[in-house]
Amino acid sequence: MNESTLFLIAFILYIVSAFFYFAFLFTKIKKSAQIGFGTVFVGFIFHTVALILRTVESGHAPFTNMYESLSFLAWASIIAYIIIEGKFKIRKAGPYFMLIVIALMAVASSPLMPKEATPLVPALQSYWLWLHVSVTLLGEAFFAVAFITSIMYLVAESKEKKGKKHSISSKKLDSISYRCIAIGFPLFTLGGLVFGMIWAYKAWGSYWSWDPKEVWSLITWFVFALYLHTRIVMGWKGRRSAFIAIFGFLAALFTYFGVNYLIAGLHSYA
Amino acid sequence: MKSILRFFSSVKLAIVLFIIITSASIVGTLIPQGQTLPEYTARFGQLADLFTRLQLTDLYHSWWFIGLLFFFALNIIICTLTRLIPKLNRTFKPKRVFEPKNINTLKIKEKFNKSWSLVKTKEALKKEFLTKHYRLHENSKENKTYLLARKKIAGWFGADIVHLGLITILTGGIISGIGGFKKNLTFTQGDILSVPQANFKLRLDKFETEYYSNGNVRDWKSTLTVFEEEKPLFSKIIEVNHPLSYKGFVFYQSSYGWNWENPSLEIWVKKRNEPSFFRKLNLKVGEKIKLEDEDLIFSVAYFIPDFFINEKNEIISRSLEPNNPAAFIEGWQENEKIFSGWIFSKFPDYARIHSQKETNLSFELKDFTAGNFSVIQAVRDPGVNIIWLGCSFLMLGLALAFYWPPREVKIILEESHGKTEVTAGGIASKSKDALQAEFETVMTSIRRLK
Ligand code: HEM
Repeated sequence: MNESTLFLIAFILYIVSAFFYFAFLFTKIKKSAQIGFGTVFVGFIFHTVALILRTVESGHAPFTNMYESLSFLAWASIIAYIIIEGKFKIRKAGPYFMLIVIALMAVASSPLMPKEATPLVPALQSYWLWLHVSVTLLGEAFFAVAFITSIMYLVAESKEKKGKKHSISSKKLDSISYRCIAIGFPLFTLGGLVFGMIWAYKAWGSYWSWDPKEVWSLITWFVFALYLHTRIVMGWKGRRSAFIAIFGFLAALFTYFGVNYLIAGLHSYA
Repeated sequence: MKSILRFFSSVKLAIVLFIIITSASIVGTLIPQGQTLPEYTARFGQLADLFTRLQLTDLYHSWWFIGLLFFFALNIIICTLTRLIPKLNRTFKPKRVFEPKNINTLKIKEKFNKSWSLVKTKEALKKEFLTKHYRLHENSKENKTYLLARKKIAGWFGADIVHLGLITILTGGIISGIGGFKKNLTFTQGDILSVPQANFKLRLDKFETEYYSNGNVRDWKSTLTVFEEEKPLFSKIIEVNHPLSYKGFVFYQSSYGWNWENPSLEIWVKKRNEPSFFRKLNLKVGEKIKLEDEDLIFSVAYFIPDFFINEKNEIISRSLEPNNPAAFIEGWQENEKIFSGWIFSKFPDYARIHSQKETNLSFELKDFTAGNFSVIQAVRDPGVNIIWLGCSFLMLGLALAFYWPPREVKIILEESHGKTEVTAGGIASKSKDALQAEFETVMTSIRRLK
């Protein structure tokens, strides 16, 4: 089996798992959620093998173009989800979360994305490519989980206001969002900012050039710093925190897509 | 003075600054930075003037943006310091006597009687907390004994270390900005250039471009030799991502190019009606060569690396890359030009020759060699090590702030009629659940002890 077949199988399994997950939401049959989780897991294994094959075949890290890095981000998001699910048992977030993964996989497999592995331009030939991109994307994957739990928070809160009970309490969702950001923020700082600066210094001779991609990473970072400060120092919680977390993930997405397609700069390759 | 301090220590100011700096940074990514006024005018029309006046065209180096960063730094410093002193006191001179009401207001607390003497109860408690890696402070006053058990107190300082890291990074940035130096040195092979502001020289021994099989560039490699006082010291091959560091300078492979001033060309001459005829000519542009038996003087008038005909029907070189090398050749017979025209190395059948006189000769531009030049960027950045130090603080602080949650347990022991009353409470700003679990196991095991 080649890499693209494996990728496709993983994609299909993710879609199937979303079906089971949503069936669970509507029917409340626990078994359905378990099958959903199991399917994600099997899909994840196929996906992992696909990424390994890609690395072996191309001889470089599997995130040097948009197709590869989207696929990697989807993969990292599943890891983040499995970790958070293991810790907090939030089955109910599964279906919504799978929507993000499926969206990433769908964009990655769209015909607009060139898929062939191209040889690396000189600037990318460095082990810092591994460190910088994988740690940053893993951090962003945790922001993605926080994004989902924050949206769920807003829904739960509005339900609770009307006196209805929500299956996961809004309080718990709020605290899960915080925990995700507490994991994502240090990872993003390390991968995106620190490793980014080190690599930029090694490759270009200056650790910071106010390149649009750098600036947008900084903006993303500032939004999450705002989240932490309003929460820790001013005691903001709930609704306002949820909005900041949502905005932060959107900023991360813009750093990732928007900058590539709308603004050109040094980072124009990936 | 006090009110200024209060202003700068407020986290509300920090939040306002977060929002302003973020918005300004966004503007800077929407307006392309560092272009020329005509480019801005073409793009933004009348707004261009306003943009340049507000320094939006070099926003990140504008006085107002740097001013914002300065306020931000001041905010961090003052805010962190005003909170640091009480925290240091709490760490090194903790209150060793506490009122029961301090404990009663806590969320994690317990109160029970143990049928043991105070000393025995105390020792049991101490043992339990020690096995859980707490540090204990003990104090007795009147008939009460106070125990303070704490661990991972360093976590209180996580945020301060993060902020210290940020200030260090900003300081490094200022030092780079003021003391930094950057210059491109353009070498052709064999050149020795002195490095500005340094007492040594560099020679480019060799420059190579490596290609992938599909023709894309794989790497550029320059072999450099460092010269001091006219003596060669050592050599190193630098490539992208592998610079040379020497005496505070770092040398990067920055760019490369071709020196098209005087390429050597190889031209093959054939005869259409005589397959056995073959001549190889090696010559430079402008050089005349006599083809003996043919009574012909041959020369190349121009060479262009990337032949292109533009909209105005002019022949130009579209780039400095040898994408479509072409030579303009001429043939003479006794001061009479008998042919002239373009030949192309990539399209040998597509020669465009105008002949005044019939000739059977055909010409191919077979090969060319031109000097390469290699652009080496010399950088001296005295701030960079400070930046790495700041980054280390930043990561250490984040690890402490998020993954080293400090815990405190306060216990009051009071003996009456051979029994001991235990009043205990726990404080954790983070991971309260973990403390609660730990607290409960300790208290339960004490209560159960026989
Ligand atoms: C980009 C800039 C900044 C970053 C990355 C940053 C980072 C952090 C982090 C990671 C924490 C710990 C949060 C936690 O424990 O969950 C923190 C706490 C804090 N920050 Fe910042 N900070 C920044 C700027 C500022 C500024 C400008 C102020 C000035 C008022 C400030 C004031 C505080 C305060 C008061 C705390 C709580 C301190 C404590 O727990 O004792 N921060 N900051």
